[in-house]
Amino acid sequence: MIEWPASVQPLFIGGTLLWSGGLKCFGRSARRSAERSALPSLVGEGRALAAYRLTGALELALAAVLLLPPARLVETAAAVVLGAGFLGYLTYAKVVAPDSSCGCLSKRRTPVTWRSFARAGLVTAAALLGTQAGGWWAGGLGAGTAVLLAAEVAALLALSPEADGLWLLPLRRLRIRMRHPLADRSFEMPLESSLQQLLASPAYRQVGPLLRSGLRETWDEEDARILCYTAEYEGTAATAVFAVPLRHYSPEDIRVALVDESTESTLLVGA
Amino acid sequence: MPSTDRRRFLTSAVLGGSAVAGATALGSLAPETAFAAPRIDLEPGARDPNFAEGRITAISGSLLKVSGSDKALHRIYVTHGTSIWKLRPTTFDEIKVGDGLYARGVKMPDGALAADAVWVNIVNLDAAITAIDSGRLHLDHHGNKVVGHVVNGTTAAVYNHTPAISDLSGLQVGKHVKVIGAWRPDTNEVDIATVYAGI
Repeated sequence: MIEWPASVQPLFIGGTLLWSGGLKCFGRSARRSAERSALPSLVGEGRALAAYRLTGALELALAAVLLLPPARLVETAAAVVLGAGFLGYLTYAKVVAPDSSCGCLSKRRTPVTWRSFARAGLVTAAALLGTQAGGWWAGGLGAGTAVLLAAEVAALLALSPEADGLWLLPLRRLRIRMRHPLADRSFEMPLESSLQQLLASPAYRQVGPLLRSGLRETWDEEDARILCYTAEYEGTAATAVFAVPLRHYSPEDIRVALVDESTESTLLVGA
Repeated sequence: MPSTDRRRFLTSAVLGGSAVAGATALGSLAPETAFAAPRIDLEPGARDPNFAEGRITAISGSLLKVSGSDKALHRIYVTHGTSIWKLRPTTFDEIKVGDGLYARGVKMPDGALAADAVWVNIVNLDAAITAIDSGRLHLDHHGNKVVGHVVNGTTAAVYNHTPAISDLSGLQVGKHVKVIGAWRPDTNEVDIATVYAGI
């Protein structure tokens, strides 16, 4: 009963190992991936790349013996050991170097999360199941096993952050195209818009060099937005008050006054 | 002066026009006036004496004690002329111990900084949008997850360098954005002030 699903596991594990081993050995950014992984803290900075490539070579070799006949128990047993070892490595990375990337299946930087563990667990479980296989995987191929393989590959992709761009982001994009979650916000003139208008105004160019502070205070006054800055004018502290049109864009209409708040006197007005 | 009277006075000063007694009309400033502020020449690599950054360790009165990321300790005085930014222009009582800040001002003889401007918890992130739900953007910042909260009445969007608007429906999953916002200390969450995006 268990033999037909077991017989095709070497194909699934072999394919997965081809992907990850090939990337580690022949990927263009293998050096960067190795440096970002937890390997430098495990084997030392200088040996990280060599260890990374060696792991890749081991994975490729194991993939080759798994995919090619004849099928031997020792091959799937080795895959179980590799899977368990990888789970151990992930635990080490999570505990010792939580900021590191897992560096597993792509050049993308992906931190170790529950998905990494679930994926390694899936491969290890498949390898365990594979130890029950009776013969070479090609003998077990059929409609049932094809469905099983497809389900396993789907689970592998679903658990791989590296594959999110293939299915998860397009799904989210589609959802947002149908109904954007941020579309129902009230229409208000944001402060940033008034600031952009202020920076483009002749009034700001006139007094800009006198300003000492950033925007201190702002409020709306009918159809103008008032913006206050601290300024220094002829050696005394003053408040620069700008009036920016609230509902239309015309930087030329921005008015400014320099005010001494301590004596409640207006020092200068500009238009 | 009560704050409503004060605002009325400041408003009338700028909008009241020529009726204000004693005020001179402001012509364009000559360059020598405009750039009369003393320039500070710094040795390359020297610490700017008029700038401070770090986490606030204590607040006493109007004095902030700040521990810099380079282990330098700063004392920063906030006056009524100091601008304070924390997601928006705000007041001194919004500043809390544990907040991060950048401050610019004038170094006083006792070594403290009299601040002209203080920016609290300000962050500038280049990130990719990985998901959007109501009220939040989920961001990928160089492999780290950051949650960006949309704040009604504050959050603005700038698309393709056009004027800022409050409409965020142009944001798309998978696109790169630049976010200016206020960090919520010791979390991976920020409140968004402005998000810059392409369309």
